[in-house]
Amino acid sequence: MRKFFSDIFHYLSLFIVFILAFSSFRFFPFDRFMQVGICVATSASYIVWGIVHHAIHRDLSLSVILEYIVIGSLGLVVTFSLILRA
Amino acid sequence: MRAVRFFIHLFSPQESNNHKARAIHTSSLTFLILAIFLYQIGLEILPHVGVRVLGYAANISPDEVIRLTNEKRLANGLSPVTLNPLLSQAAQAKGADMLNKDYWAHVSPDGIEPWKFFKDEGYSYHYAGENLARDFSNPASVVDAWIASKSHRDNLLSPKYKEIGIAVVEGDLSGVDTTLVIQFFGTKFEAILPPKPVSQLNVEPAILPTIKEPSFILKSSTTLAKESGPVLISPFTSTKKISLVLILSLTVIFFIDWLIVTRKGVYRVGGKPLAHIGFLGMIVAIVLIAKGGQIL
Repeated sequence: MRKFFSDIFHYLSLFIVFILAFSSFRFFPFDRFMQVGICVATSASYIVWGIVHHAIHRDLSLSVILEYIVIGSLGLVVTFSLILRA
Repeated sequence: MRAVRFFIHLFSPQESNNHKARAIHTSSLTFLILAIFLYQIGLEILPHVGVRVLGYAANISPDEVIRLTNEKRLANGLSPVTLNPLLSQAAQAKGADMLNKDYWAHVSPDGIEPWKFFKDEGYSYHYAGENLARDFSNPASVVDAWIASKSHRDNLLSPKYKEIGIAVVEGDLSGVDTTLVIQFFGTKFEAILPPKPVSQLNVEPAILPTIKEPSFILKSSTTLAKESGPVLISPFTSTKKISLVLILSLTVIFFIDWLIVTRKGVYRVGGKPLAHIGFLGMIVAIVLIAKGGQIL
């Protein structure tokens, strides 16, 4: 938990990305093109955040990068399957 | 006992799973992604093997769509449009054409524009417009969707239109049980022009359609009446429910994993569970606000 507070600005930046993504998605309720763009941009930002965060902490490894890529992809697959089904 | 041990192995970090719940290992998550893909492929295949899938269970009254349209127009200081049965018949013909030729577009695959349906019903227009919607569950969500889109809003709130016609057509588009809403706007020549010689009435009118490239053209040409067999599943609703259960479960597992690892003070190489929880939480929020239905 102490580590969380020492990284508060890292998490704050990620939180802002999530809030922006959610607000933008809400702002374009029937615009598939925009929604797909928002989801891709958010997942990419999340993966980049993970890589940068771990690089700063000097504990970046291939398995860590893969973990962020897989979770980012899972988010993309779920949102795409909904957007393209709507 | 073995089942309990497997359950703990799956959902709780311990030595057997390298101090990370097995369900959130990268390999397990990759498997989940593949499972979602397979489910979506299955939904695509179902209509081709004779199983009808439901676009949306709709309860849309044309009168209510007109009332809501006029409500929006009045709120924007415009005069209401009045129902013209000819326009409703034209909209009905357009809807039937979409189902028979199995397309979701303003212009049919054989190049027929919406204005042909106006002319076929004997509606001589000076201005004409079309809004389309499909797979909405109620009239308010249809009108809200049109208002949310600039081009449709421009059509709906155009001061040039005096009359309206609405058709709600149910049928089968590419194996999906679908409800189409066709909204036609029009203004007759005689409504805006002083009486003129007949020869001048054939001048090509200004048209204000909501024309875009078709987002897709569906292949099958069957209609609901021709199909047999029960409607099995709604792709959008089922995808939404499954996604919610899946992502919420993962969020809970990540949270439990984070709690246990933090309490035990286990050091492990891996991503940050709190970041994953935040990301999955955002996905849950997006899934919750995702709306069914398309407009064109």
